[in-house]
Amino acid sequence: MRGTFIIFRRELAGLFAAPLAWILLFVSLLLNGYLFSLVLSQTMGDVTASLEFVFGGNFFFWALMLVLSPLLAMRLLTEEAANGTLEYLRTAPVSDAAVVTGKFLAGTAFMATLWSSLLIYAGALSLWGVAPDWGQVITIYMGAVLSSALFVAIGLVACSITDIPLLAAFLAFMSCLLWVMMPALGGMLLVQMRVLFADLFGSFEVAEAWIGGALERMDVRRHFGNSYFQGVLDSAEVIFFLTWISLFLFLTTRSLESRRWRG
Amino acid sequence: MIEVSHLTRRFGSLVAVDDVSFSLESGEVVGFLGPNGAGKTTSMRILTGYLAATSAEVLKVAGYDVLRDSLQVRKHIGYLPESVPLYKEMRVEEMMAFQGRLHGMRRKDLAGRVPEVLERVGVLGRRRQLVGHLSRGLRQRVGLAVALLPNPEVLILDEPTSGLDPLQRAEVRTLIRELAGEHTVLLSSHILAEVESMSDRVIILREGRVVADGAREELIATLGGAGHVRLEAMVGDAEAARSLLATLPGVEDVQITERVGIHDGFTLTGSGDLREDVGALAAQKGWALRELSEVRPTLESLFASLVVGEASMSPAATPQAAPAFVEPIALDGASGSGLDLMPETPAADTPSLGTPGQKDNFYSLNPFDGGGSRDLSKPVSSSESPDEGCEDEEDEA
Repeated sequence: MRGTFIIFRRELAGLFAAPLAWILLFVSLLLNGYLFSLVLSQTMGDVTASLEFVFGGNFFFWALMLVLSPLLAMRLLTEEAANGTLEYLRTAPVSDAAVVTGKFLAGTAFMATLWSSLLIYAGALSLWGVAPDWGQVITIYMGAVLSSALFVAIGLVACSITDIPLLAAFLAFMSCLLWVMMPALGGMLLVQMRVLFADLFGSFEVAEAWIGGALERMDVRRHFGNSYFQGVLDSAEVIFFLTWISLFLFLTTRSLESRRWRG
Repeated sequence: MIEVSHLTRRFGSLVAVDDVSFSLESGEVVGFLGPNGAGKTTSMRILTGYLAATSAEVLKVAGYDVLRDSLQVRKHIGYLPESVPLYKEMRVEEMMAFQGRLHGMRRKDLAGRVPEVLERVGVLGRRRQLVGHLSRGLRQRVGLAVALLPNPEVLILDEPTSGLDPLQRAEVRTLIRELAGEHTVLLSSHILAEVESMSDRVIILREGRVVADGAREELIATLGGAGHVRLEAMVGDAEAARSLLATLPGVEDVQITERVGIHDGFTLTGSGDLREDVGALAAQKGWALRELSEVRPTLESLFASLVVGEASMSPAATPQAAPAFVEPIALDGASGSGLDLMPETPAADTPSLGTPGQKDNFYSLNPFDGGGSRDLSKPVSSSESPDEGCEDEEDEA
């Protein structure tokens, strides 16, 4: 635990000491803010609709997450491996799990900083305009942070495989994209398989329903939309994110450990 | 303090470290010496827990098993990798504070210890600077300071002097010498002079194996027995002089080396210092002496011969291993005298290298040639027609 916190502090300081974090924040916030004010003026000042549109209602929200999380993961893990500082960390008296968790928390904290623009917009509106539904604002914020955390964790797994930053960022991005698109892709695949299996076994319905259901359950956007976005805080939805995050952090730790053997 | 026995590490089919055993006592400074790719860094990385061993019987640092108690081991070592990995965006003192926190040092201890260590390596004045703005030499020192900060029992320094200018090298050497006694130090270098000047004991690695392990003086003293006396004098009949020299007490072998102008050269091997007797004989016979000296192999020549030994062990593999001219050392003689010299490769096994005692034996040392295209039974004579020899080489190249 102590090690995790030390690594977390250093990683966060490291992120904000380099220009990358500031540029990412600046550009993202600029676009996000512009979009928000645009929607706000177009909806004649409908606060809830504007907030919902910018934070979860359109694909820009997810695109931002999908692009930034892999970049952060790359910066946290692969750049360190390329610089050699990972060798320093991994010969320091902290466990690999602490290193991975610390880095993950730093990446998540960065994304939480980015999404805090939601709180700022809501705060500004409640000061000088119509007060938003604060309960919903808080749950949307939580959902955004948890979703980003999941993508950072997926990114870390992808980035722990290679030492080439560009390749790592690409792999991480593709993995995150695949995760988001999996339900849609899975559905298409199932349709194709239905034809194939119908010839072989006659019926494929039970398996299809089961696989389709499983895929649907992994749909991050649906999980976000069904609870957090609605202003509902459901423990099942929290557990969904935490379970997957733990699994990916575990995989990252194992992947790092395997470097001892791979060399 | 460090105990390693039968350590092996493979990377796929490549055996990077092959059945290496050694141990370090507390307070000892030991240098790993070997050419690039000899397995120095891999061995060090295994000791620090960064890499796992493929197999090892004992692998202990500071009394802890490297594999089972990795975290304990890491608490007791200060490791400076060759690339000196430091966070570029941090200031020197921030980097030190981070290292201190990782090692669980208390804030109060840290406040006293950081300036002390920085002072010791001579970068106290740079404590506020960003690590990324420091020059290579200064970064190396900061790296050393980071490794030293938690006052570890064992220091593992991979090429601590690489990339430094001569002045900085000297400073780092002095610093490491000072650390002896307080810390157990294992360092590596591919430069013999570096290792020689820093460590009491040298472990020479080649192709993942330990080929020699001993104190510096021990190595030199033992090899001194294989030294010879060189004589250059105006003797008239070289063959007659040779048989005369061979009758001297203690002389085992006399070889005629070369004739330069009116002077003949001889190489005498035998026991004890033969110079006095040879000098007396020369005075008696009225030979005009030009040179009478004892040639002792240095650790340098030992190292060179061990490294070039590759050429004789795998003749087809490395043409570039041939060019270095090596003082021939009777390795088989040295191996019987307390030195652990594993590859028993007598110098006679390397016909392509010059051996004193054979006349006109300057073969082409052209690294691009590798000796493959030339008839080795016909040496390129240096004394009779040096120009011709040069031309031959150019043609072949």
